[in-house]
Amino acid sequence: MATDTTTVTSPRDVPPGKAPAGRRPALRRDGRSAGVFLAPGLAGLALFTLFPTAMALGISLFDWPVFGERSFLGLDNYSHLLHDPVFRRVVLNTALFVVLYVPLNVVVSLGLAVWLGPKIKGRQAFRVLFFIPVMTPMVANVMVWRLLFQPDGLIDSGLQTWFGVHAPNFLGSSSWAMPAIVAMSIWQGFGYNFLVFSAALDQVPQSQLESAQIDGAGALHRFRYVVWPMITPSIFFATTMTLITSFQVFAQPFILTQGGPGVSTQTIVMYVYNQGWQFLNMGLAAAAGWVLFVIIMGLSAIQFIGQKRWVHHDV
Amino acid sequence: MNRTQAGRRLVAVAAALALGVLTACGGGGNSGGGSGSADKADLVWQFWVGGTEDQAAWQKVGDQAKADHAGITVKLQGTDWNSYWSKIGTLLASGKAPCIIGMQSLRTASYASAMLPLDDLITKYGLKTEDFDKPIMDGLKVNGKQIAIPYDSGPMVIFYNRDLFTQAGVPEPKPGWTMDEFKAAAKKLTTGGRTGLVTTPGDLSVASWVRTLTGAEPLADGKLAFTDPKFQQGFAGYSDFVHTDKIAPAVPSGNADFETTQFTAGKAAMQLNGPWSLIDTKGKVKFKLGIAPIPAGPDGSKTYTAGSGFGISRSCKTPDAAFQAIMSMTSEKPLTTLAAAGRAYPARTAAHPAWFTAAGIDGAKETLDYASEHSVPLVTSKNWVQVSDLLTRFGTQALNGEVPPDQALKTIQDQAGAGS
Repeated sequence: MATDTTTVTSPRDVPPGKAPAGRRPALRRDGRSAGVFLAPGLAGLALFTLFPTAMALGISLFDWPVFGERSFLGLDNYSHLLHDPVFRRVVLNTALFVVLYVPLNVVVSLGLAVWLGPKIKGRQAFRVLFFIPVMTPMVANVMVWRLLFQPDGLIDSGLQTWFGVHAPNFLGSSSWAMPAIVAMSIWQGFGYNFLVFSAALDQVPQSQLESAQIDGAGALHRFRYVVWPMITPSIFFATTMTLITSFQVFAQPFILTQGGPGVSTQTIVMYVYNQGWQFLNMGLAAAAGWVLFVIIMGLSAIQFIGQKRWVHHDV
Repeated sequence: MNRTQAGRRLVAVAAALALGVLTACGGGGNSGGGSGSADKADLVWQFWVGGTEDQAAWQKVGDQAKADHAGITVKLQGTDWNSYWSKIGTLLASGKAPCIIGMQSLRTASYASAMLPLDDLITKYGLKTEDFDKPIMDGLKVNGKQIAIPYDSGPMVIFYNRDLFTQAGVPEPKPGWTMDEFKAAAKKLTTGGRTGLVTTPGDLSVASWVRTLTGAEPLADGKLAFTDPKFQQGFAGYSDFVHTDKIAPAVPSGNADFETTQFTAGKAAMQLNGPWSLIDTKGKVKFKLGIAPIPAGPDGSKTYTAGSGFGISRSCKTPDAAFQAIMSMTSEKPLTTLAAAGRAYPARTAAHPAWFTAAGIDGAKETLDYASEHSVPLVTSKNWVQVSDLLTRFGTQALNGEVPPDQALKTIQDQAGAGS
């Protein structure tokens, strides 16, 4: 057998930790190119995310009024937050919003996406219709919902006209205000996840569904054993993103109720905004911001660890 | 370049970036403060405006400076009310604020430390402070120092729907009307899905009603006094309008417009408001509008005055030019023009006739003169923005009967502290 005189070095022949000698210049060139392309993004990330985050951590250790003298407090701002009944209620409010909003949002958006299957007539029109609230400005949406919810608003007037009874004071009652905000938020936000799920459902091969049907699987079984495993990456993406954004909820309670009555609808981001930009107390605002950051990071990490158990990336 | 060199360069670039941002945030710059001399300067003026039409109208006020002083120009930077205060706070803290700053009397204490006291300039340029309404001149002072020169002012008064009063056969209120007369009228007007009054937990309304009901003030010796029994009693009386007397509807949370929309839609016969809203309200309503002083409590009719004006930021490099501009902007001519356009009840007494002509409401002058005599400025604490926010949120619970009024006030006091 003739022997090939040219030596081709296989990566397997190279001792661990050493790049193949012949490819080193090419890798370097790639590395430089990658660095050049990544530089603007990394600079932006460093300047507008990492640096302010680090600054916020520093500020959170100070009594930092917008005007006047600053003084080092150590962890006193965090201690204040721990012992402040309002902040504790604000954290609970945010958790309550998340617990109500995230599952309902996923159920509504997934339910509608499944319902609007390929056989439904006019599904494109429905898709546009459901996505409209996501595109319209939040302030406009909230103003319309306020007209529905307020005393003598559309719901109250309707109930008075038809049944002679008053509706609850949705935005003035500590019991009703949060459910009212959740309802408005679901209407406003489900369209985004609806599109994500619709796209994922469209990727499920019809042939597999037909095979399952021929094998005698009913609609529920087809969804559970064929559709669900294929859309779990989308479900994971949607729940993770929705969880993060719902922890950051601000506009709906800010415009609908200003966090009231009392502090029944005040959320962590509203607390940060009020402390920083209304009450000009940057130290406490930064500390509250860091508490939120840690909560979101922790829950996101748990989600990423947990996904291995139920997300099927290889289907 | 080897790896070590590259690393050093990277560190150097990062440090430069960080320093750049720190420098930008840390203040000390002079780009916002303008430059020039007492007679020649290009000044920037930050003010709240409601849109392009509003911006054009106010820019004409700024142009008065150029008309009076050829070398001084004033350029208006308008921001809507909701974003104005966070923006101005950032600008003042950064040391890059424009020279001329719009300032509201209730917020003056919060921002005073970043503003230039104007007393020396008032003396130097001979501004006659007696030409302005005294309550609002005092309302724009902090610790005895004048922080801004007012362009508008006004005591809180009752706006009422004259058509509803006529329909219900209720005599129209006159200066000196009592709390009993007010309640009797409101009860009679609460019928057919309408209410006699509409309330708000806003600071000016709460403070005015409490003051006339019991004479209590929100601050005592500069400290928040919400747990003072007289203040609690007055606030309980105000809350009773909603959940005991039932002459006013329940309040939604966070809707500052609710009071006005209920009144302008004819669903409530009366509301407490300031004269700055009168001409605008008259243009919106389809009924005859009347105004009356706040009803008299045990010690007579007592109300508060609020208003706004223009001050100078401490970072301004040309305070003399800025002050001359402010003198022009608050002079009789622009204030009369604003009054004739129905924009605000002018702080200068000489411009009042133009405003009353524009308002065209019977008894307006008699009412406002009476209310002014019975008003004092609502002097606020340094953290009044927080107090006002808490009052709006916990006051909603008290007005709706969710929590006892004294408990709501105690929560506010605990949260806001003394507030000095």
